[in-house]
Amino acid sequence: MAGGETTGQQHRDFVFSCRSVSLKLPYQGGSRWILADISLDIRRGELFTIVGPSGTGKTTLIRVLGGLTPCTSGSVRINGQEIAGPPEGVVIVFQDYSHALLQWRTVYLNVALGIEGQVAASELRSRVVGVLRLVGLEKNADDYPWQLSGGMQQRVQIARALAVRPAVLLMDEPFAALDAMTKASLQDELLRVKQETGCSIVFITHDIEEAVYLGDRIAVISGTPGRIERTFDVPLPKPRDQIITRQSTEFLKFRYAVHQAIGGMTR
Amino acid sequence: MTARRFSGRPSWRPNVAGFVTVAICVLAWEMTIQVGIFDYQYLPAPSAIVRGAGELAASGELITATLHTLESVFLGWAVAVAAGISLGLLLGSSPLLRRYSLATIEVLRPMPAIAFVPVALLLFGFSIQTELMVIVLPSLWPVLINTMGGLMEVHARLEEVGRTFRLSRSAILYKVFLPAATPAIMVGVRISLTLAVVLAVLAEMVGNPEGLGYAVVSQQQALRPDLMFVYVVVIGLLGLALNALLVGFVSMSFPAASAEFKGPRS
Amino acid sequence: MKRGELDVFLRLVAAEIPPARGLVPLLVLLTAWQLLAPGPSAYFPAPFEWWSAAVLLWDSGQLLPAFAATVTTFVEGLALAIAIGVGLGIAIGTSRPVERALGPLLEFMRAIPPPVTVPIATLLLGYDVTMKLTVVALSAIWPILLNTSSAAARVEPLLYDIARTFHLSTADWIRKIVIPSIVPFVLLGIRVAIPLAIVVTLLVEMLTSLPGIGALMIQSQRNFQSAQVYALLVIVGLFGFAVNDLFAIIEAIVLQRWPPKAPLRPC
Repeated sequence: MAGGETTGQQHRDFVFSCRSVSLKLPYQGGSRWILADISLDIRRGELFTIVGPSGTGKTTLIRVLGGLTPCTSGSVRINGQEIAGPPEGVVIVFQDYSHALLQWRTVYLNVALGIEGQVAASELRSRVVGVLRLVGLEKNADDYPWQLSGGMQQRVQIARALAVRPAVLLMDEPFAALDAMTKASLQDELLRVKQETGCSIVFITHDIEEAVYLGDRIAVISGTPGRIERTFDVPLPKPRDQIITRQSTEFLKFRYAVHQAIGGMTR
Repeated sequence: MTARRFSGRPSWRPNVAGFVTVAICVLAWEMTIQVGIFDYQYLPAPSAIVRGAGELAASGELITATLHTLESVFLGWAVAVAAGISLGLLLGSSPLLRRYSLATIEVLRPMPAIAFVPVALLLFGFSIQTELMVIVLPSLWPVLINTMGGLMEVHARLEEVGRTFRLSRSAILYKVFLPAATPAIMVGVRISLTLAVVLAVLAEMVGNPEGLGYAVVSQQQALRPDLMFVYVVVIGLLGLALNALLVGFVSMSFPAASAEFKGPRS
Repeated sequence: MKRGELDVFLRLVAAEIPPARGLVPLLVLLTAWQLLAPGPSAYFPAPFEWWSAAVLLWDSGQLLPAFAATVTTFVEGLALAIAIGVGLGIAIGTSRPVERALGPLLEFMRAIPPPVTVPIATLLLGYDVTMKLTVVALSAIWPILLNTSSAAARVEPLLYDIARTFHLSTADWIRKIVIPSIVPFVLLGIRVAIPLAIVVTLLVEMLTSLPGIGALMIQSQRNFQSAQVYALLVIVGLFGFAVNDLFAIIEAIVLQRWPPKAPLRPC
């Protein structure tokens, strides 16, 4: 996982790959390193969580992976190709759904944003309806985002991202602004959606339990500038269950290990 | 697709106390003059004003004056809105253009509209063009500034959404920035309309001798306060009516924008 | 002024000034006008002629008294409007029933454009300086009155409970809580009132030929002295600009202690 040459075999398995990515940003007249020497490989079809406290550059990392911010050094590749700008097949789902959705468009039109003008009308309709059904919002197609609850708005955003059939979904603390119960239900929904669509997901969070619950693999990021401290495999049994999984000894073991890797800081 | 009403708005409670106050004031005004306590030569009783209204309506003067003012207002406002939005879009999307024009706007904007009247008279004499020259420039500013500001204040997240879906630059401008800035633009358009009415009346008072503004001054000089007040009331009603029409129109066309549009009082 | 205060003051002044190169369009216009003007023109005299006309006005002793008359009326009218507008505004705003009762009446009075009050006042009060002052004050009072009363009526409800907890008297309530809360809005009202006061002052002078710049402008126009008309236009423009800028600076200084209104951009 860390360092080493990538063989042809690994190329096919890894959809996303960064090598020694570092980033500095202008800060008070000078500049400040936000990320230092990040190397990650995301396997096809896995849910890869990145967990760490605030201020470690997690959001910046997602923006680099998503092509919104270029890195200062290092490379990011998707399917072997180095990226320059937002790459095809990669979509970011943002934390602040109310600012990320187009509040003046209906749910239907919001979901259509990524594909309108690019697919035939019948195809567009079937995709939008299909993806709304996937997240359970097919009855809300004609509503406006501001009429929906926070959890529902976030599902709209996820549906919008899925409509373009991305190879990789980048999610920036998508459930952080939601209450605990909505969060739990959306976590399960995400797992189900991933099961049905087979896309790879990179999921950023500051919630250790969320990271362990959702992840196939976890990377712990910490420090300023942010570095990857450790990466874990999380072979917890599937399907995951909010009560059963979270009580299992395995779960607690991983939770403890992640906590330690962060340096014992709570959040 | 039907838009549901914006939830959470309180229903309108009739302001009984308010209307009663107005009614009492009007009645008191009428009474004191009828009874003779307060007999000021130039303050007419409400009943006299109503009679005067009938007189003017019958002779057609009221309609002619009102139509003339409406014509100036709409022409001037339309030009101001078109120019204001175009310039606003240009400046709002280009930091370079902004740097090379903001100071000019800051210098020209505080110019009192009335100062244009003598220049306009010089160039166009007694004609509607004089009024238009006075109306257009000051009415342009609120539209331009609100359009520019609206564009500049579009949330950063929206632009990033456009980019993560790999929309072209023009698609981002048209599908994301413009709709997001629409509430702000509408506020500017509304302010501009109110301003246009005031400016039209102003231009008619000291510039072009036609329309409601001129009528007010000429009745004042003819020492007919009852008729003068008729025109004053009509001007007030005109402003309110146009404003209400605009708000109604916008509410119907842009349900999401209308909540912000109705905005705070001046 | 102490050293630290001077720095703050200068920084505030600088913040109000947009980059100087923004004057380019204006300078280009004036230069082109000057170069293209075909000699003394009845309609479009060149900028240099405006300057000559202005100097002439100054030398003939007409400019200064007219300017003084206009400025005096403006300042006195504005001061009166502020004094009465704020006082009445607080009285109306702090009493719920009064505010509701006077609401529609005030709304209708507000709908009457300030210029229209001039002929009314001329009829009722005659042609003299008192009338001029009254009219200016009466026009300028509305934005101040309405902003003040609306702000006073909308003081944070929580603060009312806090006042009761601390057993504050009505006088204290108004002095310590209402007045500081409404300061930004009162300043906003004054900012709107200033151009209004300038316009009405000039309007009265134009309509009645009472001494002032307005009267001078109309007189020049009737005598077809076009360069003079433009010169006076520039003078009025500069005056308006100076007053507005001065007030913006005062506003910035006064509002230092209040929280900024615009939300901070997320980083």
